[in-house]
Amino acid sequence: MAEKKTYSKLGEMLSKGEFVLTGELEPEKTCDLSHTIQEAREMAPYVVAANVTDSPLAIVTINSMAAAHIIQSETGLECVWQLTVRDCNKIGLAGQIMGAQALGLRNVLSLTGDHTAMGDIPEAKPVFDLDSATLIKLVREMVDKGSINENEIKHPPTMHVGAAANPNADPMEAEILKIGRKAEAGAEFIQTQVVYDLDMTIEFLKGIQKYKVPVFLGIFPMKSYGMAKGFDTFVPGVSVPKEVLERWKRVKTDITDKKEQRDMYDQLNFDFFKPFISELKKKGLLAGIHCMAVHYTRIFPKLADVVKA
Amino acid sequence: MVVITTKKPVEEVLNTLRENNVKNLVVISCGVCAALCQTGGTEGLKEWTEILEKEGIEILSSAVVEDVCDNRVMAKDFRKLGPSVEHADAILTLSCGLGVQSIVKVLDKKHPNKKVFVTNNTEFMGMTERIGRFYMRCLGCGDCLLNETGGICPITTCAKALMNGPCGGMVDGKCEVGNYDRDCGWVLIYNRLKAIGRLDLFSKLREARDWSESGHQREVVFR
Repeated sequence: MAEKKTYSKLGEMLSKGEFVLTGELEPEKTCDLSHTIQEAREMAPYVVAANVTDSPLAIVTINSMAAAHIIQSETGLECVWQLTVRDCNKIGLAGQIMGAQALGLRNVLSLTGDHTAMGDIPEAKPVFDLDSATLIKLVREMVDKGSINENEIKHPPTMHVGAAANPNADPMEAEILKIGRKAEAGAEFIQTQVVYDLDMTIEFLKGIQKYKVPVFLGIFPMKSYGMAKGFDTFVPGVSVPKEVLERWKRVKTDITDKKEQRDMYDQLNFDFFKPFISELKKKGLLAGIHCMAVHYTRIFPKLADVVKA
Repeated sequence: MVVITTKKPVEEVLNTLRENNVKNLVVISCGVCAALCQTGGTEGLKEWTEILEKEGIEILSSAVVEDVCDNRVMAKDFRKLGPSVEHADAILTLSCGLGVQSIVKVLDKKHPNKKVFVTNNTEFMGMTERIGRFYMRCLGCGDCLLNETGGICPITTCAKALMNGPCGGMVDGKCEVGNYDRDCGWVLIYNRLKAIGRLDLFSKLREARDWSESGHQREVVFR
């Protein structure tokens, strides 16, 4: 069998079967990326790549392709460019994919995107010409066949395409079958939504094992009680277990020294995620960890050790 | 099937009439769909007669018309209304958007300058549960998927009209749009296909919709 072509560090590590750690960068509503670039620099030594989000929650931010390009050029950190089908039709998406290639992006994560009605420009027209599965198919046609709608691209893109999955989804079987469609469309890796429930995660990962797509587990180490509470309240479909929230709350109420508080939050995260990750690794269900803890870069040095262990 | 309409704010309609300097009108009220939606019919005509009188606009003639949207019916009814149509500053119709355009078309030859205004907003082609409860379940997209989706339409029940749902906005079978009050269309499809033993259809990767026929005025002409 011919060896699979790789176009990025992430692709290379996947093809070698090396366990990876990826991070996440969330550019904001600003044309100045210095804050995001600083975070990229801080996580760069510990991750193989970082996702760059595309107006999450449909709240408009700087364009993810431009941001990913600038982050890559300024810091050398490889990016996983997130692309939603919310804002562009197939013509726009194909054009962006070629543009991203020209700008040096080599990993794209195909997402549906939160509905326009959820965001800060709710009157905008929701596009959804393609969906997350047919966008994967488009990327694969462009990369593998060098064409769009069977029309040749002079210099086709060379990039890897990933998909999202939600182990928290209920009904789970519908989500598993959907992942089957994304695998059929040509997804090369899967990044999951944030998880806190080990049994449910195992059930889900076993359910999608048959599709043979490497999975990066989404985790969200919580920087503070406020962050944990906010995450629990505002991220749809993800709930932080009550006893976990309680532990974080106690740090806030019982410890006054800020440094001690920080250290304790870090410790609690490792106490929770270390056995979680190690159990899933032991079962051979994972290809990597995708850490979505934005603005919490100090966690990465130790997290990288946990992931390697 | 009913074309579902809702009332425009009265002031919006009156402002349109004022801007167009309308002093007298012929009023047409739809006796079918709009009557069912309580935005037309006899009741609607009565309501608008009072509003217009208060505004000082004279009604030269009026009629409740079956199928305002049917050019043939509308042409016949205009003949019955006689010279008032010619004398009126404008026609006001208590109907859907099809009714407005039917009137414009029917009057086009004899009265090409006649203004036509509408009192309603057209919402959708509706399925009726009971009077006052209408649901959009078909968009008339021209390429029906229902044979493959267990009789539930993803184009209208999925807020994103996805071909390969559910998306990440589904939580406990509910849709992110509308604060998780409405069912996720793709979970409804999943449940139906499971019930009829056709999850193989749910597993199928579907191509994106073909919009190439949507860029022009669609017609069905077979004779």
